[in-house]
Amino acid sequence: MSTPEADHSRDPCPIVILNDFGGAYAMGVIGGSIWHGIKGFRNSPYGERRIGALSAIKARAPVVGGNFGVWGGLFSFYDCSIKAIRKREDAWNAILAGFFVGGSLAVRGGRKHMLNSAITCAIFLGILEGVGMMFQRYMAYANKPVPMPVPDGGAAPLSA
Amino acid sequence: MWPFGSSTKKEDVVSGETISTTQITETTPEVSAPQLNISAIPIFDASKLHPLAGLDKDLEYLDLDEEKLSNVEGTGNGILPSRGWSDDLCYGTGTLYVGGLGLGGLYGLNQGLLNLPPGSVDPVTGNIKSAPFKLKLNTVLNQVTKHGPHIGNSAGVLGLLYNIIDSSLDAYRGKHDDLNSLASGALAGAIFKSTSGTKAMAYSTGMMTLAAAAWCGFKRAIN
Repeated sequence: MSTPEADHSRDPCPIVILNDFGGAYAMGVIGGSIWHGIKGFRNSPYGERRIGALSAIKARAPVVGGNFGVWGGLFSFYDCSIKAIRKREDAWNAILAGFFVGGSLAVRGGRKHMLNSAITCAIFLGILEGVGMMFQRYMAYANKPVPMPVPDGGAAPLSA
Repeated sequence: MWPFGSSTKKEDVVSGETISTTQITETTPEVSAPQLNISAIPIFDASKLHPLAGLDKDLEYLDLDEEKLSNVEGTGNGILPSRGWSDDLCYGTGTLYVGGLGLGGLYGLNQGLLNLPPGSVDPVTGNIKSAPFKLKLNTVLNQVTKHGPHIGNSAGVLGLLYNIIDSSLDAYRGKHDDLNSLASGALAGAIFKSTSGTKAMAYSTGMMTLAAAAWCGFKRAIN
């Protein structure tokens, strides 16, 4: 997200919103199927456990997917918009986008709820970006180039 | 040991062989490079030549078409460039989900505007007092958020199933064609309504096969 180079594993901006919507939705549906499958199985009486798991998946996995998808898609939408306005890519993009996503999703709960949710989301994304930066710095430290060892036989420069 | 260039020395070593080295060193400059199979010539033992060159293996074909993103036959004629199954999955699901969300939202908007809360009649004066704006807005928003995510989620699940099955069939058959698309549409429709009885399953299978056929036709029409 905050790499200086162009990232060729992601598509350019307006179209990537669809990609993120779909990716987040698929992640939510698959994860929700596992989660609600196990939950429905455990909460059903003996003899109806498989049908219970299936109906729990049918009823709840798409909803989880929808929640994930709307979050990811809105985040991508705001990220792209902020990129277009600020014309730079750094950690503040993600934090601002998280702020707006939190606010947008809580829009029906009133002003106070919106602000709380927006700040929570911004802090969450700030932590995420911070961890990403720390990890990046650690990787750079662990793979830093080592200087060539000086040969033992004294300094013999290439002067003829 | 470099095979070209030192013809005089090698002639002494392998003078008893059936093919003389002089003949080879004469012909090598004339033979064009791709047709020369060094390991077929008995003098050059592939195991004694440079091991990293891999001369004892078969011919290796290089992928010269660097513009292509996928090696599955028949790909690359979609609307968007795709890096493989994950892009297909994300874009397909995302497009269907957002489309369903938008269509369902419009339907909900219509429903909400049709079912606005009626105004109350004042019992003393008999005047009709229209419902407050907040109540009207809430009705419309409730309808939009009821129908939008419902249709969006259904469309998204269908897209997810279709793309997973389509990519699996592509990988299994090694090509990406309309037959795969139709089959995965039918399977996705069948799985989607698999708990609602045979009739609903058949109906949904038919609808999804038709939708897949329409999608294939659309792709052909724009290409």
